[in-house]
Amino acid sequence: MQIAHDSYMYEMIRSELTDILGEDYVVTRDADRFGHSVDYYWVPEMWHDRGMETPKPDFILYPGSAEDVSRILKLANHYHIPVTPWGGGSGSQGGALPIYGGIILDMKRMNKFLGIDKEACTVTCQTGLIAKHLEWRCNKEGYSTMHLPASISCATIGGFLAHRGTGVLSTKYGKIEDMVMSLQVVTPTGDIINTLPVPRHASGPDLTMLFLGSEGTLGVITQVTLKVHPVPEAREFRAYIFKDFHTAMSAGAELMRSRLQPCAIRLYDETETKTHVSKVFGINLDKGAYLVFGFDGRKDIVACQMKYAREIMEDKYHGQDLGSKGGEYWWENKYKFFYPPFMFHLPQAFGTLDTVATFSNIEKVYHAMKKVVNDNYPQARFIGHFSHWYDWGCMLYARFIFEGKDVPSDPREAVALYNRVWDLAIRAAIANGGVINEHHGVGLKLGHLMKDLYGTAMPVLEGIKKQLDPNNIMNPGKLGFKGA
Amino acid sequence: MNIDNFTDAIKNCRFCFMCRHLSGIGNVSFSEADTPRVRASLLYGVTLCPDNLANPDLIDTLYRSDLSAACRTNCVSHYDENGLNLAARRDIVALGKAPEAVAKLAKKLAKNANWQISGKGDVLYFEDDYTAAAKTIAPAFDKLMKAAKVAYRTVKGGGLGKALYILGYEKEAKAMAKAFADLVNKSGAKTLVVSNPAAYDAMVNDYPAFGLKLKAKVVHSSEFIASLKLKFKSAGQLYYLPSDFLKNYNPGYAGPEKLLKALKAKLLPFGTNDEESYTCGEGAVVLPALYPELVKKLAKYIAERADNPKTDKIAVASPYTRIYLAKEGKLNVLSLEELAAACLA
Repeated sequence: MQIAHDSYMYEMIRSELTDILGEDYVVTRDADRFGHSVDYYWVPEMWHDRGMETPKPDFILYPGSAEDVSRILKLANHYHIPVTPWGGGSGSQGGALPIYGGIILDMKRMNKFLGIDKEACTVTCQTGLIAKHLEWRCNKEGYSTMHLPASISCATIGGFLAHRGTGVLSTKYGKIEDMVMSLQVVTPTGDIINTLPVPRHASGPDLTMLFLGSEGTLGVITQVTLKVHPVPEAREFRAYIFKDFHTAMSAGAELMRSRLQPCAIRLYDETETKTHVSKVFGINLDKGAYLVFGFDGRKDIVACQMKYAREIMEDKYHGQDLGSKGGEYWWENKYKFFYPPFMFHLPQAFGTLDTVATFSNIEKVYHAMKKVVNDNYPQARFIGHFSHWYDWGCMLYARFIFEGKDVPSDPREAVALYNRVWDLAIRAAIANGGVINEHHGVGLKLGHLMKDLYGTAMPVLEGIKKQLDPNNIMNPGKLGFKGA
Repeated sequence: MNIDNFTDAIKNCRFCFMCRHLSGIGNVSFSEADTPRVRASLLYGVTLCPDNLANPDLIDTLYRSDLSAACRTNCVSHYDENGLNLAARRDIVALGKAPEAVAKLAKKLAKNANWQISGKGDVLYFEDDYTAAAKTIAPAFDKLMKAAKVAYRTVKGGGLGKALYILGYEKEAKAMAKAFADLVNKSGAKTLVVSNPAAYDAMVNDYPAFGLKLKAKVVHSSEFIASLKLKFKSAGQLYYLPSDFLKNYNPGYAGPEKLLKALKAKLLPFGTNDEESYTCGEGAVVLPALYPELVKKLAKYIAERADNPKTDKIAVASPYTRIYLAKEGKLNVLSLEELAAACLA
């Protein structure tokens, strides 16, 4: 937005916004504008760390209803003001950064819990609700969303929907897109629409899926109905150490092919086992690859599933059994990895190169990404774990880390280094059957790689964007779409 | 600067989102600025450019924090963003940049030291301003003491430096604390009982840090009442909302839990979790004087989480919470003293 803050036009727009929301919900304080200028993406964090100015919104708005959102978007279209939806600020791809200024649509005021349908096992809520608050509310009634990512304490439900997030129990319960029944969406031109009430149908293309993962570029998701599940009677874990990553991967893939339906599998490569698992758990795991898995549900069925899974791990792949304690310790400490000082932090440069591929390709993807990072940047560490497993393949949560001494002190050079690593690694993933991301989204970080991934299909996405958002007000410059 | 003693919190909290859901003010203002992550980031900016500390929006952000310290309790590494905030307030005051409303309040608080002692006995009961304002707490305490045949004296008529310290007026807080400590020491009391957890925290943690020593043993009223071995009938089913000062500032302190056990209370889980602060901003001590609208919102937030707002019986350890949860949240709240007095067999 190019209107100076001391101009009367800025005040004219502020007055119109205040007319829509009331004075309390139109905010322009410096502290708030700063708060929305840095999310969990390394680039703005580093930029702030080096004392550089971060792009800030002109207005921060807190809508209370879909009608509020609709009126704001109509006004934004009238004046061609960029609008960037913001949930909890835990996005790691820069998807919610107001890179062109304008309006930040902070959705957290839309935090109403609208009830559980116990017949259908679904919950309906507004999308500004912090995920942990929703989970606690469901737990009180004996249910769980089973969507339990590390960002659960911060992210809003809308944030998960916007970038197709996933949680630690995804192997059984699916990613967020598998959990959605229906959505209420405000389109960029201000129409309030509802997608079909059920996700399985033969009633034309699925609009729900169009908006999931659209990262605020195609509209604002204001309400959702999600599946919920009764809190299971039992949940048990077991951990193993395998002689190497390949053997552990084979065991994990076999477990998935067995259709025993584990709720989680997590496999750490040798490097991450040695450096990270050992550190967080405080145990010495010098050699091999750590794999943990679990089952949940009825106690007797869990026992049965565990029995057959152990046969795979022990009899076929000769894993060293760390026992149920070794597995439960992981479950109890699953978020500890993300707390400081266990999480990577500045002055380190680090990034999560998560991708997903079939079991036929996933090891190729892993080795190709590792090789390209190691060959070009021998000073960088490359680690990886595999944490969301499907019938056909799994996710690689690869990470690169440069120690502070290896990161250029000039912030511009640091950004250049950072982006080169991403480009090389992600292109290696695509070349071997991977995609540019599995559950963190595209955002600002990976937008320029969308054409590499989609090829001739990219104009289809661009056409949809143009049709829905003719003035390009919604989150411009993200998801590979054009800037403001 | 005082914030230089909290570089750990600055560096580790500034990009961490793991306690976002516990940010009391953040949950009612919805503002990103009202979270430990952003407050720490803003203060990192101050370490790069000290002039930033004079920014009125930053100052406002720091003073509107509820200071519950729930973030510190639930952080696996217990990083102290709460302490960082208090340190920044001291720096703001030292810089002469305290907002007018804060400076005016501090001036008033510094004059609030007209203590008077009445009664007889080795036990001294501190009836602070919140306890006095609640009106029903001191009489309930008196009923219990009479039942236990404990002679006690009461000291009232002022603060003890806690509010000044919270606002960043360290020098004035120390001076008031010293005067209060001298009064208590001169009284010869062996036990000092306080109903207000803020007073408990001041005397147990702040006073030693100020170099002050109280000769009397300081106990929260709940612990003291539990120690009297009075006969109680069962308190029945109720909810208990812990105090920030007892739970998050003095982890492991179990005075209220001991009393609730003695009262044979059947505790029901309040709301959806035991991590959030449900105190209406007790940790900030004087939040209602500076941000009354935020206190109303905090009370409403808590009331919305009650199972049956009109009928639930809710016990609290803090007179502050007792007042504001009843006044703004319209809940059926009673202090532990009132609960115990009502349960006397």
